[in-house]
Amino acid sequence: MHRFAPVSAALLASLLAAPLAQADRKNPLEGQPAVRHRLLLVKQRFEFAPAFESSVNADFQHTFSGGLKLEYHLSDMFSIGAVGFYGKGFNTKLNSRIVDDLPETTDEGDPTPTHDEWVEHLNEIQAHGAGYVTITPWYGKLAAFGKFFVNFDFYFSGGVAFAKLKNDCCSFDTDPAPGGDLEADPPVLADNDPNNDAAINDGTRIGAYLGGGIHLFLANWMALDLTVRSYLFSDNPSGLDFNADLAVTDDDNRFLNHLFMGVGLSFFLPADVERTP
Amino acid sequence: MMRRSLSSWLLVASLASLTALVGAPRSAQAQKKKTDDKTKAAQPKAGAQPKSGQPAKEGEEPEMTFEEGEQPAPEGQDQEGQAQPSGEPEPEPTGDAGGEIDLGADPTAGKEDKLSAESRVSWQDIVVVVRKPFLKQRRLEILPQWGVTMNDNIIRHYQFTGQLNFFLTDVLAVGVEGQYYIKDLREPYDLVARQARRLPTVNKYNYGAALNFHYVPIYGKFAILDEHIIHWETFFTAGVGFTQSEVIPRDPAYQPFTNFLITPNVGASMRFFVTKFITVNAGIRDYIFVDKFEAVGRTEVNGDAAKENADSSLINNVVFQAGLSFWFPTSFEYTTFR
Repeated sequence: MHRFAPVSAALLASLLAAPLAQADRKNPLEGQPAVRHRLLLVKQRFEFAPAFESSVNADFQHTFSGGLKLEYHLSDMFSIGAVGFYGKGFNTKLNSRIVDDLPETTDEGDPTPTHDEWVEHLNEIQAHGAGYVTITPWYGKLAAFGKFFVNFDFYFSGGVAFAKLKNDCCSFDTDPAPGGDLEADPPVLADNDPNNDAAINDGTRIGAYLGGGIHLFLANWMALDLTVRSYLFSDNPSGLDFNADLAVTDDDNRFLNHLFMGVGLSFFLPADVERTP
Repeated sequence: MMRRSLSSWLLVASLASLTALVGAPRSAQAQKKKTDDKTKAAQPKAGAQPKSGQPAKEGEEPEMTFEEGEQPAPEGQDQEGQAQPSGEPEPEPTGDAGGEIDLGADPTAGKEDKLSAESRVSWQDIVVVVRKPFLKQRRLEILPQWGVTMNDNIIRHYQFTGQLNFFLTDVLAVGVEGQYYIKDLREPYDLVARQARRLPTVNKYNYGAALNFHYVPIYGKFAILDEHIIHWETFFTAGVGFTQSEVIPRDPAYQPFTNFLITPNVGASMRFFVTKFITVNAGIRDYIFVDKFEAVGRTEVNGDAAKENADSSLINNVVFQAGLSFWFPTSFEYTTFR
């Protein structure tokens, strides 16, 4: 009987070892990068992009602007940058209808603003921009019509926004004490007419910035940059009484979202790119 | 004799087990080595010069160099092995789905070819194309969506849509769509009345429907945080249908009236593939119609009378939409070889 002992032991050992060997087996792709031999199209490269931007769904004044984007990509995923735009305001369809319908003069006590009072209270975004940090978590490749193959990435930005607002107020005589001043000597009573109050919706504003976009790489050194940017800052676009206290004051400003969509042509330096292992 | 026979069987069995145990990793290594050799051969050699004799420029993508016996990738594939979308339907199933694939075999070849294919390793035999992870052909897409208007600064509409799309091929679909709208008057509606003493002329949308065609020209994939690969595609939509709009009278004492509006629509959307039967959709659609608004100097209390004197205007109702698609049948089989 003992003659079979070694054989039986070997058989038992092999049976026991089999599951252990399987347990040791690992997925060879575990921990490996999702993509090999990938072009690092932004890593440690400087990006500058002439760009155009337009406001989306503005209330009274659309803004069309041109500017520049400057960005340095610290890594393949993180970058710091700034954008700056100079623009011009144009009446929205809603505002055109209002402007065309307002009278040149009004009677005493009529709460309707005159044409000039309305137009001069409106503000426009003369310049705007932001400093921001960007994360680029998505990159990929697409095929268009089965013929054109394009690398792309999606990015998201956050930072500090600025805007320089401008109005044309005022060609008319303004109320020296909007809302009245009972502490003055002699006290000034409120005239309850916000239309002749000075507009205070101009000057520099600082706020928050959120953005996102997509780079479509036309070459290793050039990309089409499609963006959606949101500049959030305190504003009163109509420049008139918002809080219904019958006076134009700082309290009429509120934190508003100014949404823009843009397109730019990005150039990357240096022109050479690295490739991952 | 019986004892001897039993012992022999045991010995053979144990040896076979040991051989299998020891041999498995070796054969796996050998298989890996073979694959590595193939992969190495498929990759451009370091410092390889293009055949034209021009030195490769720095920064350019290295080009694949083919040696004797090599053949370029089949039509419909790019150099990096990505399948190109085509409008052609896939052939019928061949039963290889989910099974072991003999990399050395050429399933399209005849017996003689098969024999010769087994005796050599050609570039045609090497699998470099990852199959599309999601097929749509002859599948039904049920798409509930939420949307919001993007280009009206007086009134915002939230849109709830349901779509049924049937994919004739992997890139072409026909479908129907129903829409229901909920209105939300925005800040300028009150401001204009209070500040400019003017009452805006506003219509709300109630519901609509459309017959649509979808075409998928752009297909791609991307990596998230360098870990997960997501496949996606862009498709264009064009269709025609109707919308019912309703006047919101400036004077509440006046009767509203409704309009039945023929509504062509165009749009572009993206579809992200999550599972074999769920996708995430997001896109923009422009519903175009000529709407009838309350006349500026309306005096008629009756809605029908006011409708006769209504002002018309071309409207682009641009809507951002997002939703989840559910696909039936919930699974699919590949009909092409790897």
